[in-house]
Amino acid sequence: MAKPDSLGQFEQLVLTAILTLREDAYGVTIHAKVAELANPKPISLGAIYVTLDRLEDKGLVSSWLSEPTSERGGRAKRCYRLEAVGERALEESAVTAKRIWDGIVEVWGKEWAKQWGKRWGKELG
Amino acid sequence: MRPGPPKFAETAVGFLIPPACREEVLGDLHERYTGLGQYIVDAMRSVPLVILSRIRRTTDAQVFLLEALVLYLSFLSAAWYFNFKFLADQWGLLRLAIPAAVALVAVMLADAYTHPSTRSPLKAIRGATLAIGVACLSQAVLPVGNPDWAVPRSTMLGGCYTGLLLILSVRMLFSPPAHRPQSANGLGFGQKQDGKAVNIWSRTVAVILCAAMLVLIPAFGIEPGFIAFTLLGVYQLGKRF
Repeated sequence: MAKPDSLGQFEQLVLTAILTLREDAYGVTIHAKVAELANPKPISLGAIYVTLDRLEDKGLVSSWLSEPTSERGGRAKRCYRLEAVGERALEESAVTAKRIWDGIVEVWGKEWAKQWGKRWGKELG
Repeated sequence: MRPGPPKFAETAVGFLIPPACREEVLGDLHERYTGLGQYIVDAMRSVPLVILSRIRRTTDAQVFLLEALVLYLSFLSAAWYFNFKFLADQWGLLRLAIPAAVALVAVMLADAYTHPSTRSPLKAIRGATLAIGVACLSQAVLPVGNPDWAVPRSTMLGGCYTGLLLILSVRMLFSPPAHRPQSANGLGFGQKQDGKAVNIWSRTVAVILCAAMLVLIPAFGIEPGFIAFTLLGVYQLGKRF
């Protein structure tokens, strides 16, 4: 299997959004999910399209047109799913992020990690 | 029923979006619609990036540079042959770059706005005629605004003919990425589009008509505006097949 390219932060966010949305991953939902993940940074819909095109060209995701729906004015959705290479690339990114986290905790201490944990807990409700 | 954007706004936005991604982008914008202002802002923030992304997908950097070189050399060689003194003028070499740059932008946009589902052997001809047609149009319009920046007519005509032939050859040898068949492990983008059957006879007639029109141009006049009109007519004719 081909070795996946390393991913940029925005690409990681988009791939995570596609992974979590499963069958319902298309422009609007991916944008909403990425905006939620990147909060408080504002994300434009155009940036999502550009990244999706790039990820598709890299072979990390694949897309297909769904049936047209009335809430979209009779237009189809372009749905996305992760390919095996995309899953591997995301997995590698997650492992790297975990290593970064462990490295930081080692220096700044477990107390700092607990504080962050509480903040995340509050944000997630 | 959910309110949707006004028809005129959707039509205007749809006109700007490249056909390959028009369906899903218009659908997404429709789904996000809450008001006309929001729709326009949403479209203004998304559409330029969609166009740029499409240009990136349909432009091969090496072929693009080759086309740029070929176009500039066409006008340069025409100036060398017909108006050698023009090359010694101040900004002479820069003025030659104007029609070449205009043609290059036109060919780039023609590739980006080509519908991937239309499989036509005329695609290469269409892109080249549009590019040279728009370059002629720019030279027909330029003297109205600033005549100092226009290229002499003989140089323009010679450059157009050479450029048309060379750009056509380049595009036939190295077809743009959007026109190429995709391999099983490649992008797979072109394969996903629904292809229509190719009608060989109508295409052949169209090719002969286009070639005849291009050959007949000098017989009717050498005004850049006329050439632009003819070439853009050929482009429109080519779109029908």
